Amino acid sequence: MLFRSNAKNQTREVDQAGWGRTFGATVVSLIYFFPVLIIIITAFKEHTDALAVPAKLFPDFLSFIVPEGLTFKPTFDNFVHVFSRSYSAGAAAQDTGFDRFFFNSIFIAGFSVLLALFIGTLAAFGFSRYPLKGNDTYLFVILTTRMLPAIVVIIPVMLMFRVTGLSGTYTGIILLYTAFNLPFTIWMMKSFFDELSPDVEDAARIDGSSERRVFFKICLPQVLAGLAATAVFGLILTWNEFLFALLLTGVETRTVPVAMSQTIGGDIGVRWGLLAAIETLFLIPVILVTFFLQNQLLRGVTFGTVKR
Amino acid sequence: MQQGNGQTDEAETAVRLRGVDKNFGDVEALKDLSFDVATGKFFVLFGPSSVGKTTTLRAIAGLEKINAGKIELNGRDVADAPIRGRGVAMVFQSFALYPHLSVADNFAYPLKESGLPAAEIKQRIGETVEMLSLSHRTGNLPSTLSGGEQQRVALGRALIQRPNILLLDEPLTNLDAKLRHDMRAELKRLHRQFGMTIIYATPDELEALSMGEDIAVMEEGHVVQQGSPDELYETPDNLYVAAKIGSPHMNLLDVSVNEDGDGLQTPFGPLETKRPQVSGDEAIVMGIRPSDIRLARDAEPHLNLKVQLVEPLGDITVVSVDVAGSSLRLVLPEAGALGVKPGHELPIVIPPERVHLFRKADGTVVSTAM
Repeated sequence: MLFRSNAKNQTREVDQAGWGRTFGATVVSLIYFFPVLIIIITAFKEHTDALAVPAKLFPDFLSFIVPEGLTFKPTFDNFVHVFSRSYSAGAAAQDTGFDRFFFNSIFIAGFSVLLALFIGTLAAFGFSRYPLKGNDTYLFVILTTRMLPAIVVIIPVMLMFRVTGLSGTYTGIILLYTAFNLPFTIWMMKSFFDELSPDVEDAARIDGSSERRVFFKICLPQVLAGLAATAVFGLILTWNEFLFALLLTGVETRTVPVAMSQTIGGDIGVRWGLLAAIETLFLIPVILVTFFLQNQLLRGVTFGTVKR
Repeated sequence: MQQGNGQTDEAETAVRLRGVDKNFGDVEALKDLSFDVATGKFFVLFGPSSVGKTTTLRAIAGLEKINAGKIELNGRDVADAPIRGRGVAMVFQSFALYPHLSVADNFAYPLKESGLPAAEIKQRIGETVEMLSLSHRTGNLPSTLSGGEQQRVALGRALIQRPNILLLDEPLTNLDAKLRHDMRAELKRLHRQFGMTIIYATPDELEALSMGEDIAVMEEGHVVQQGSPDELYETPDNLYVAAKIGSPHMNLLDVSVNEDGDGLQTPFGPLETKRPQVSGDEAIVMGIRPSDIRLARDAEPHLNLKVQLVEPLGDITVVSVDVAGSSLRLVLPEAGALGVKPGHELPIVIPPERVHLFRKADGTVVSTAM
């Protein structure tokens, strides 16, 4: 893969930085990644190993190079327990409902991000191409809805949800998350549309395209990177949202962060292995999405600096 | 359709603008703009930047709604007509290629939009890439092409539509000098080959004169003079055209009519001319082409003027001489300029019959060279 640097227009091979810098970058990455690594390792530990000090960081099949005290015996029990476990000693295993919670998280986050992307992209195109009188004021007002901390607006939102009967419904939480995602979706997509050359659109008009086709055939394909970046950004925010989900989802619509918090407690204290297993599973969808969009993302974050 | 007499009647006028006004807020981009373009002509809109050339082209294409006036394409009033169906194609100064589409898809786009069958599209793309030597580039994205190739793709995307009218907005401005030269010849060749009407906007006088069969000189949103390159060069209607057309530029000197009214009082002394039709106290600007000034032969009466600057340009040399504090340029053949150095005196003859006179107040012509 080749990268083009803006200043001198020269192409650089990816590995040009050499071993020294690569090593430095690796160390920094590991430090950042370490908490995640601990979570993933803990997910495979028995309860006693999870609590051991010093931490047992290595699975026992590495015991031929690692001292005895630092290894643990890996187990998949925690992952099984996420979905099905007994709630008191000796009782039969019960369905925990986590399959439902994972579905809820994916469905609610996915739906609201796509909805915000759809509405926000159209709105952004409008703000970019057909500015209103006081365009900037409208944009600012839209952004102010995100300036208040969630805790400030939670009471009015709860009251509204109770009155309208949206409390505990998919519609309610999806609408709320869509409203939350819209401001930055509009702002981000507007900046991507602003970067496009108006001549290109005029060329399409002369070539016989209607305004609708100018948008779908000419503008939208040019901002795919922006769509990807905005989608991932929104997905991460929505995926991790806790407070509104705690107060506004019901038993049927509960998301993973809320359900996870409710596993804390019980007869043997905090089950760290179980929590870590939930978190590990919870990471997978976001990692997958980011992985599949990474090429678009790379162009998205460098948009405007690499072009021209 | 085409008759070579330069007259335009209904049938052979491809583009007609009458009293076109266009405002952007408080800015008047086009003011009472009127001109005719004969069918099949290579027509040039010439003027410095921000004079309204691009706005004019965009109005013809339908990208700008005009505030007043009339635009007719092939006799049809299109002032309120949609962009589509005008039979117009345009090449933008920025090329405006579709950055997400390959060269072939850029070519296909306008054809798909007008609903041509796939086989026809394929055939036309084949012809076009062949004609513009882009066969090896059909799969490339525009950003991977050189400037010259991008230019050809922009041109190809317009030509492939077989338009009646082709609008070119400073298409060569973004190319380097060598490519510009090649593309000028290429454009003329394409015009001969296809015979469509071309309206070509340029701020480059050399492009205007070398390519235009008919040139409209624009100033502040309207046409100040329209004519063939020779007409504009020989008989400029006003000071603006006189100053813009011709390289090196016409020498312009403030003069006055002498008391008898039969000659001029100039910085280098009296000059006998045909009787200027102006009152004695009106301020007059005298224009003389550098190529019309010559050196005296034998004992011919002449002026001795001191050389300030010598600019050899290959086969000609431009020499600036001092006239009472201002300078006068003249063009000498290379051989005639050998040994001319700053500080020398040259025997200069200004032929009175080659002098153009303009009113200083409004720039209108008093008399042109005979």
